[in-house]
Order: sequence, then C-alpha cells, then structure tokens
Amino acid sequence: MSPFIRIAITFICSIIVFTTSAQRNDMAEVKGGTYIPLYGVDSTTVDVQSFKMDVYPVTNREYLNFVKENPQWQRSRIKRLFSDGSYLSDWEGDLSYGEKLKPNAPVTSISWFAAKNYCELQGKRLPTVDEWEYAAMADQTTADARRKESYNQQILDWYEALKTFKKEIGSTFKNYWGIYDLHGLVWEWTLDFNSVLISGESRKDVDKDSNLFCGSAAVGATDLMNYAAFMRYALRGSLKANYTMRNLGFRCVAPLENINENHSK
Amino acid sequence: MKINTTKKLVLRSTQLAGVASLLFSCAEKEKKVYASTAEIPAIREMTAELTSPPHVPTPVGKRKAKKLIVDMEILELESEMTNGVRYVYWTFGGTVPGSFIRTRVGDEVEFRLKNHPDNKLPHNIDLHAVTGPGGGAESSFVAPGREKVFSFKTLNPGLYVYHCATAPVGMHIANGMYGLILVEPEGGLPRVDKEYYIMQGDFYTKGANGERGLQPFDMQKAVNEHADYVVFNGSVGALTGDNAITANVGETVRLFVGNGGPNLVSSFHVIGEIFDKVYVEGGDLINENIQTTLIPAGGAAIVEFKVDVPGTLILVDHSIFRAFNKGALGMLKVEGEENKKIYSGELREGIYLPEGPGIQTMPSTDETPESEIPAKTMAEKMEFGKATFMQTCFACHLGEGQGIPEAFPPLQIRII
Amino acid sequence: MKNTLKIVLLFLLIGTLTGCNFGKSDKLETVTYECPMFCEGEKTYEEPGTCPICNMDLTLVAEKEKKEGEISDLSIYNLPSVWTTQHNEEIELKELQGNVVVMVMIYTSCPAACPRLAADMRNIEKQIPADKKKDVTLVLVSIDPETDTPERLAAFAKENLMESNQWVLLRGTEANTREFAAVLAVNYKRISPLDFSHSNIISVFDQGGELVHQKEGLGVNHQETVSKILELVN
Repeated sequence: MSPFIRIAITFICSIIVFTTSAQRNDMAEVKGGTYIPLYGVDSTTVDVQSFKMDVYPVTNREYLNFVKENPQWQRSRIKRLFSDGSYLSDWEGDLSYGEKLKPNAPVTSISWFAAKNYCELQGKRLPTVDEWEYAAMADQTTADARRKESYNQQILDWYEALKTFKKEIGSTFKNYWGIYDLHGLVWEWTLDFNSVLISGESRKDVDKDSNLFCGSAAVGATDLMNYAAFMRYALRGSLKANYTMRNLGFRCVAPLENINENHSK
Repeated sequence: MKINTTKKLVLRSTQLAGVASLLFSCAEKEKKVYASTAEIPAIREMTAELTSPPHVPTPVGKRKAKKLIVDMEILELESEMTNGVRYVYWTFGGTVPGSFIRTRVGDEVEFRLKNHPDNKLPHNIDLHAVTGPGGGAESSFVAPGREKVFSFKTLNPGLYVYHCATAPVGMHIANGMYGLILVEPEGGLPRVDKEYYIMQGDFYTKGANGERGLQPFDMQKAVNEHADYVVFNGSVGALTGDNAITANVGETVRLFVGNGGPNLVSSFHVIGEIFDKVYVEGGDLINENIQTTLIPAGGAAIVEFKVDVPGTLILVDHSIFRAFNKGALGMLKVEGEENKKIYSGELREGIYLPEGPGIQTMPSTDETPESEIPAKTMAEKMEFGKATFMQTCFACHLGEGQGIPEAFPPLQIRII
Repeated sequence: MKNTLKIVLLFLLIGTLTGCNFGKSDKLETVTYECPMFCEGEKTYEEPGTCPICNMDLTLVAEKEKKEGEISDLSIYNLPSVWTTQHNEEIELKELQGNVVVMVMIYTSCPAACPRLAADMRNIEKQIPADKKKDVTLVLVSIDPETDTPERLAAFAKENLMESNQWVLLRGTEANTREFAAVLAVNYKRISPLDFSHSNIISVFDQGGELVHQKEGLGVNHQETVSKILELVN
C-alpha cells in the first residue's frame, strides 16, 4: 500500500469516526425507569421510557446557525404569535449575538415555540417535564440523588446564585448519565411545561376545590422538602409559550430507537 | 330711595344665601359619610411615593381617596448580612423590608408588579390589606422579565404586611420578600414629629452566625426554625451606628413595626422607653403605656412615644438572645437638653458593706478547683504551661515569645 | 358697584358649581408610538422619542390594516396544523378564518368540568342573534386525541345539542394539541388513563384569528364574552 493511500484511508476513517462520535457525544442515553414526580398523577409513580438527551444546553453559536438557515426565526422576523417582544433581546442583531455574549454560553430569551421548532428541525424534540425531571434527579454518582441533602442544597445554592446565564456550557458537573448543566446555568424549556397546574397562589394549590382547574385534586405535591423542584414547577407555572426569559434556555431529546436506527445505518 | 336700598339688600342677601347654601351643600357632599368604605369614590390619579426603610412616605393628611399607582420592582440581589457575610436577598424594590406603601382608606390601588429580567424566579405579592383571593397573589404571579397589573380598593384602615407567596413560600419570605403597606383612616393618622419603618425577619444560612463569605439559604434550618440571624431591616447593623434612627428631645416618634418572619414572633421592646400608644396588631385598638408589644410573624404594630431625655434608645426583640447574638438590635439616638427630673443619670457611687468591714468568704465546696491540680507528667506540665502562657503572656509577647519591637521584649532564650 | 358685586357673585356661583363637579374630561384621540423591537412587549408611548430599553427610535403605531385573506402576526392561523372534525373531515385551522371563533378545550370522557364548559358554550351560542349565528363558529378542541375519535366527538356533539353547522369539534395529534393549548394558555395534564386535569378557559378570536378575549373559570358570568362576540359580528 502506498503511503499516500494509507494516509488517505486513515484520513477518511478518522472523518467517519469523528463525525459519528460527534453525533453520539452530543447526546447521552438516559435509561428509563419509574419515579415519583413532585406533582404526580393518581398512580403516583411515572414510567419514563429510555431516551437520549443533549449533553449540553443549546448555545448561542448553535442557535445562530439555526437562525441563519431558518430566517423566519430571526429576531425581527419571528411571528408575534410565537414570541413576546423580548425574544433574543440580548443579541446584537438578527445574525449576531454580539461581543457581550459568549458563543459557548447557553442561548436564552427563547420562546417555547422557537425552542420546539429548533429541536424538531434536528429530528429531535423538547423533553417532557417527566423526562427532564427524571434525568435531573442524578448527581455525579447516582441516578436518583434527591434524598441526598448535599444534592438538594447544591441545587438550591444555584437557584439563588445570580446571573449564571452568562457562564459557558460544561461549567457545572457531569451527572450520572453524562449530562452537563441540568442545574447550574439556566432553566430549560420542556415540551409540556403547560401541564403544570399551579395558579401562582401556592397556598391555594393544595386546595382540592379549585374552579380554575378541573380535577385539581391531583396537584398536591408529593415531597414537601424538595424545594428545588418546587421552584422549577413554580417557574413552569408562571410561563406562557410566547414568553422568553434571560435565565431560560433549552436542550433537546430524542427517543432511543431513532438514535439506534441512525447508528445502525 | 330708601325702599330701593332695602330691596337691593334683600336681593343681595338672597343671592348670598343662595351662594352660601350652594357652598354648604357642596361642603356637605364632601363630608358625606359612606355606608361602607367600599363606596368612597376614588377621584384622580396619583403615583404612590415608595420609600426604603427606615423611611416612610409623606402622610396622606386630608387628601381624598384616589386612584393610586404603585410601581414595584422585584430584584434578586447580593448584599451584606453582617461584616464579611454576604447573602442573596430577594426583594420588593431592592431593600429588605420592601418599599413602604402609604395609602388611605378608599384608595383604588393599581399595583404594577415588575419582575426584573435578570431574576431567576417567578414571584407574586400577597398584600394583607387586600380584600380578595390570595391578597392579590394569584393575579400578580409574574415570570422574570414581565409585569403584572392588578388593582384593589383599600377597605380597612390599618398597618399590613405584604409578602411573596410563590412556592416554596417560606423560602421567598426567608430571603426577604416582605414589607408594609399602611392604610390611613379618613383624614390621616394624628400628626407626629418623626416616623420610621422597621421590620424584623429571621434568616437561615448554611454557615453558622458570623461564618464569612456568601452564605446560601439553609432549607433544613428554616424548616426546623433554627434561625442564624434575627434582624431588623434585613441585616445586622441596619439600624445601629451611622444607620441609627434619630429624634430630638420633646418629639413624638411613631414606629411602623412589622414582622416578616418567616418563623419567629417578635417581642418588640425599646430599652429606656415606654410606648405611650400601641395600635395593637396594627388595627384600631389603642393600648397605652406598654413596655413590650408582641408582633406576630406576618403582623405589625404601630407604636408611639414621646422622647423626653437624650441618649441612645435600644430597639430589641426581647427574646433577648436574638438581640445580642443574632442581630435583632437597633438604635434610636435622641439629642437635646437633659431633664434631670425625668432621669438623673448617675448621682453617686459608694462602698456597700451590709455586714461591716472584714474579709468576706464565700461558702465553697471542698473540691480543689481544676486549675489547682498539679501537673503529674512532663507532658501535662508542658500543656498547662502552654495554657498559662496563652492566657497571660500571648497577648503581648505573641505565640513564639518573639514580642513586639519597641513595646514588648522577646522572651526567647537561646539554649546552647 | 352693583354690577361688580353681581359679577363677583356670579363667579362665586360658577366656582362653587364647577368645584363640585369632578367629571372627567373627554379623552382625546391620541396617537401612540411603539418600540420597533417591542422591548417592553406591546407597551405603547404617548410621546415620540426613544425606547427606554434599547434606545431605538419609537415608531408610530400603524392602524391595523387587514387586507382580505391576509393574516396578522398574532393570528392563530399561523399555526400550520391539520385537524380532524367530528364528521371525520380533515381541516386546517385557517379554514375557520372569516368568522368569529369561540373556542374551548375539553375531553369527552370528562366527568366534571367539561359538561359545564359545554353548557357555558351553549349559553353563549343562545345569546347570539339568529341572523348573526352564521358569522360565529363554536369550536371544541379535544385534549385527549387518543380517546376522542371522530365518532366519539360526534356522539358528544349529539349529546350536548351541538349538531348545527356552527359547531366544530376537533382532534389533532398529541403535539398539535399541546401547541394549540400553549397558544391558548390552557394547561392540562393526564392524571389517569381516562382523566385529565385542565384549565377552564373560553377564548374568543376575531375574524382574522387574533385572540381578543379570554374568560377563565367555571360557572363564571359570560356576559363580557357575549358582548365581545356581538361587538365583533356587528
């Protein structure tokens, strides 16, 4: 074999390895199971199917590529049905996030519609509340660390820390599933954020007789000590799909089968 | 001619009477007594003056009920709890307690609650002065970067607490989300010389009291009600030293005192004063000549007293360890002429010997005090010696006996 | 002398009369400005100038001009989704365009709130004058597309006396439904295989598909909703 061909083959192989591994490294597998969410349903435990989740939240740089290819989601062009006035408000312009924002920081000030569309165009979708919560129960070493005092305190500390949206992705811990930044950078959109039935009057939400929601008996929380989860659910309850927030970004998930199919192909 | 004048006079007097009656009827309309405060009309619009503690806005005086616009901004910010200890406060208007809101009965308050875009959490407000579901909590639930507007009519005069009621409620309150709203009666509260705004709150930090650095909220301590800090106006020292409130001798001072909690009840007391008047629990009932008044968590009281002598009055929660170990202490500095009749100051000092001269002995047990047990081993000798050194010598001659040049000579001996 | 006195008295009279009168002066038609970036949402300003947030020049709020067949940025007809009706016909939302649309989200197996919401919808329908009925479409959207087949929707319509042409019952995919709920700010969650917990909101859209009115709660007074509809069709 001539050296030229050998080099060429190595080169091609490395490209293949690089691209496939890049794709695979982007997402981490979360093995399904059951868990008890903070706001459960009648049968209390919820089954979560195995899925793949983005290792990092979507960044400014990635989102910029997206709006370049999909001009209808640029700041000046987005339909007002899909976003309030603050969409990408910290960006310098339609096609630039400017000097102040880091390319590797999570993109924020994104509406639910925009986040959902981004994921769909990648062949993915937004995680459900249950998927997100399930993946986020993990600390560095265990899949469900919710009973560890240190885990709860750590998350609470973050919720109180100011302006963490400016940090770069990967700056917090890697959890049991190999996923970074579920806690510590930004809040994240979920597909069914509007399945959270809280009225914003937290004390009334324990009341079983509410006229605002049908069947609100089910909204009682299961774990009164999980303050971090309370805060996440309160946040979801305060949102509408066209809202954006400086502390709210997103990441995508995909069902396991799809990934396997792609992989075997 | 004469007749004419009389006619004119009659004419004039009827005209005058007409005007007078019109004036009178008009005045009567203004002084109309309403069947309920809900019927007081609110006329014209006005933006409410909001103040940071310990200050309060201008009294309502004789102004009519109005449509009152309250612009309140929620800010999550880092600030100092005490020397070297930082804390992330969640605030109404950038201070703990939140901005003071002053209204009068019958006002229609248009409340505009703004959640700063840098904030992380949704918030809301429950004003105890509101007659309506959740005290406004439901209508004011607002995500960061947004504004919610709702309105209410002030029906009952009194001093009321407001606070955030977003889940987990305790945490939002523990981080400082409370303040006071005053609803003055028709015509306003009686005039006084000085008015101040003070609010107690308990704080729960990961580190113990005094542990330095940025201290996060400790949920477990909060649930167990083990406060690390109990303070007036959000931090240790918010009302002491240069921050002390002031008055002059002869002035009447009114304190609007609230208690945000979240857990502890306050036994509010001013050392060296007696409250001439206490509006018990912030309501209509006035009690007189009170030493200590109880302010429940989520409650308030108005206290008034005339300061007669100069000096520094100390404001405390008379659950006294809170005052001296956890920060629940404030100062009111009174300046002016002394009045020896009311308070003399020290008159004389002398020897007190009830049983005549001679050496007094205290009854004691036969046990030898620990410090007098002789050392048995060399190691013990060394240990005791070190303890003695630390107690007696260390302060001047320092740890290694090196001393301080020009002041305290070194103790080192060179062993050859 | 006499005249001066009279004049003074007259002034006094006028003064006292107007003094008692606190009536508001009529509002003039005002021109408003908005930030081109909508930094503060839909906030408008009375004076021209710059936006307090991004400092861009404020622009005049243009009269909303709706050309025939064209929809605004805020119209729900921007949603591309396809739905199935109780008659098993596929429709796109924008086919509803041109009529005032009254919309509620329900599920047919709902035991408690939905029958009441359906009753509320019927009550609203009753209050629309006969000659205007053709201009109003009443839409019920299922939040349980899995269970609510077109047959079930048809049965529900029959049961609830919603058989005239004005009534449209829709089911979509799970994703479309979630998105549609997001637009209406309706929250819902499946709490058992056949049961949902959901917000009770009736929404009114104008002929161009813009949300103009929402009323939340059960057994609330729908007078406001009805007058909004009448205002739109007249």
